[in-house]
Amino acid sequence: MKVLYFAVLRDVTGKREEDWQQPEATVGDLLRALVARYGHGFERWVVKDGDLWDLVIVLVNGHDVRHLQRFNTPLAPADTVVIFPPVGGG
Amino acid sequence: MHGWIGKVLRVNLSTGKVSTEALDPAVARDYLGARGLGVKIMIDEVDPKVDPLSPDNKLVFVPGPLTGSYAPSAGRYTVVTKGALTGAIASANSGGVWGPELKFAGYDALICEGAAPKPVYLWIRNQTVELRDASHLWGKDVPETTDAIRAETDDDAKIACIGPAGENRVLFAAIMNDLHRAAGRSGTGAVMGSKNLKAVAVVGTGAVTCADPKTFERAVMKARDMIQKHPVGGTGLRLYGTNVLTNILNQVGGYPTKNFQDGHFPNADKIGGETLAATLLQRPKGCFACIISCGRVTKITNPKYAGEGEGPEYETAWGFGGDCYVDDLEAVTKANFFCNEFGMDTISMAATVACAMELYEKGLITREDTGGIALEFGNAEAMVEVTRLTGIGEGFGKKLAVGSYRLADSLGHPELSMTVKKQEIPAYDARAVQGIGLNYATANGGAAHVRGYTISPEVLGVPFKVDKDTIDGKPALVILFQNLTAALDSTGSCLFATFGIGADELAEMLSAVTGVAYTTADFMKCGDRIWNLERQFNLAAGLTTQDDTLPSRLLHEPIKTGNSQGMLSRLPEMLPVYYELRGWDADGIPTAAKLGELGLAA
Amino acid sequence: MAKMLMINADKCTGCRNCELACSMAHEGVFRPDATRVHVYTWEREGFSVPMMCQHCRDAPCITVCTPHALTRDPTSGWVDLDDAKCIGCKMCVQACPFGNAIWDAVTHTVLKCDYCGGDPSCAKFCPTHAIEWVDDLVATRTRKRAFSEKFKHAFSE
Repeated sequence: MKVLYFAVLRDVTGKREEDWQQPEATVGDLLRALVARYGHGFERWVVKDGDLWDLVIVLVNGHDVRHLQRFNTPLAPADTVVIFPPVGGG
Repeated sequence: MHGWIGKVLRVNLSTGKVSTEALDPAVARDYLGARGLGVKIMIDEVDPKVDPLSPDNKLVFVPGPLTGSYAPSAGRYTVVTKGALTGAIASANSGGVWGPELKFAGYDALICEGAAPKPVYLWIRNQTVELRDASHLWGKDVPETTDAIRAETDDDAKIACIGPAGENRVLFAAIMNDLHRAAGRSGTGAVMGSKNLKAVAVVGTGAVTCADPKTFERAVMKARDMIQKHPVGGTGLRLYGTNVLTNILNQVGGYPTKNFQDGHFPNADKIGGETLAATLLQRPKGCFACIISCGRVTKITNPKYAGEGEGPEYETAWGFGGDCYVDDLEAVTKANFFCNEFGMDTISMAATVACAMELYEKGLITREDTGGIALEFGNAEAMVEVTRLTGIGEGFGKKLAVGSYRLADSLGHPELSMTVKKQEIPAYDARAVQGIGLNYATANGGAAHVRGYTISPEVLGVPFKVDKDTIDGKPALVILFQNLTAALDSTGSCLFATFGIGADELAEMLSAVTGVAYTTADFMKCGDRIWNLERQFNLAAGLTTQDDTLPSRLLHEPIKTGNSQGMLSRLPEMLPVYYELRGWDADGIPTAAKLGELGLAA
Repeated sequence: MAKMLMINADKCTGCRNCELACSMAHEGVFRPDATRVHVYTWEREGFSVPMMCQHCRDAPCITVCTPHALTRDPTSGWVDLDDAKCIGCKMCVQACPFGNAIWDAVTHTVLKCDYCGGDPSCAKFCPTHAIEWVDDLVATRTRKRAFSEKFKHAFSE
């Protein structure tokens, strides 16, 4: 599946996007795998108190997982996952 | 008084008379300051039917009770007038350091009335206030004006001024302060130009006092901590600026392109905040007493667009970028610099260019009309050039100076102008985000995002997340944000403080600095009161429920591509609920009961 | 080890929180004109620098102070101003090569940074560490480390 990184996550991963080759059943599985790959620098922007940080924007095919099943949102190999750390503006 | 100074400065530009009067504590208590006080002055003193560019309009510069203190990021002021672009009440909010200087000079508000027979500027040094000849300054851009006035007054004078755009009454001309900050929207600059007022220069050596310094310090330290710990207020905005929103809005499919013909821009990343940080950004910048530092100090070394200044912000990058289908960040930034130098609102300027590009696309404007410029979507040089021409009042720029509504209307196609109350809609597609569309339609100053920034909950998830595509609960949410923002704006605080604090903390700081006890409910009621007062001004000006709408495109033409493909705004379903929750009748007129509740006259 | 105020101008955003903190701490009001730290901003370039008394070892202000209102504390090394002894001649204002002794026409006193007795308000209120209250031996550590990293990059394979 395709994973796109934005803002400070680009500095943490060193990438704007990547083709994630391993199958991940859910968003939670994917994020845990990314934390394992990129370490605490990634984790601190995405996870809080063991759960998906409420301010993180994770989109699966353009849909915000906070309105799906959050960590339990299912993933398919052809999905595009977009991850924004907490950001803002106006 | 504390927080407030207790004095209002009044300058009659027609007669040259300068006078001061006491600030009524009851008015200060109920309307706070800045936007609220400005609106109160306007409704008390100005006939809402007045022609905005006539001497009978007034121009009010108002900081708030927190302005000049160390309440975090609370150094702002508001310019209130009847908008030249909209014909509605206009309040343009600006940062920088000018607002606090007016407080230190000893004033809670500056009321400019009438019109000078020849160009003048106002020079305020504490109690000494003079109107000086500005004939030698007329025609100068904002940096030149600032330098010239400082040479005649004081090296450290803080200057709010117009450039040639305001002088030429470009209907979306802005008032610029401290070179790079704008009291931008609704044509405040044109009103200032119509008064032959070139600038207001201020030196203030006095003090803003605090009723309860110990309590205030505690409240301020708590608020600072909350903002600094918040990922947006504490880190995100300083690293990437507001332009970080480009990729977010694009990914959710609500990034309007080609004059809202679509909602997705394939090359958005090239003009987003990440790219800006990696290329043109020199360092962050903060306004007076700010702890967030979202300002972008930028520099272009490429000789084609060379320049330095501040910006672009998200709205600007969207307007000159995606809306015009331009993916050249240097071109976008250069257009932004032109707007600052000549004194123009970037949102209205950019959206007017985008509208003109669609008119050109449809053959309603030709190369002959544009003086040979190929005004096509995606043509970066054309976008920059017509912006420059509008700023200096030459060529095709003179046609764009009336804004997109009057331009499109003159060609028989007002529906191609993406405006509400003749003010250009900013950078969030109302089809992809339902609540912001309701805010655009109902904001008292015309389409504007900051009046009720529901993008925060609907897209970002601050302070909580709601589904952007639902309409349930949106009217109530929009009202909550509109009321809170009206109150917050009226204290002198920056809206970005809400990435961290809320009404509780604002009421706490306000009480400690003024010595007037505000509960959170009192504070929110001030916001509701100010909103309804603005509404009353507009109704008396002749606006009706017909003006609380969105362009037909957003109601009937679905988004074509991207992650919000197929969506439309469901405004018609939300508006009646909004009116009801506001305590207004079916025509959007506040009921007697509602007005009584807020202490307003019918 | 002694403490000093370290100025990191590259981090200054021009917000002037330091000025407000200083005037509130010393004067009890918000009056940037009556502060002992001032921020200078070059608006076009967007560059700002906070400036305050540097408590010089060979202080010109002490040299010219005839009533000995300005003295150097042998323990802390700070330059102290005793308002009771000050006659308001403003010779220190003339002498300071940095302009960091200020004459306040409202209170008729000389304003000079006194490190807030050891807990500088400006450093507490600065949101970006443009002003830091640091041990003198480590004051430049961050800067040295940041620059030495360039050598690391230059020499790495």
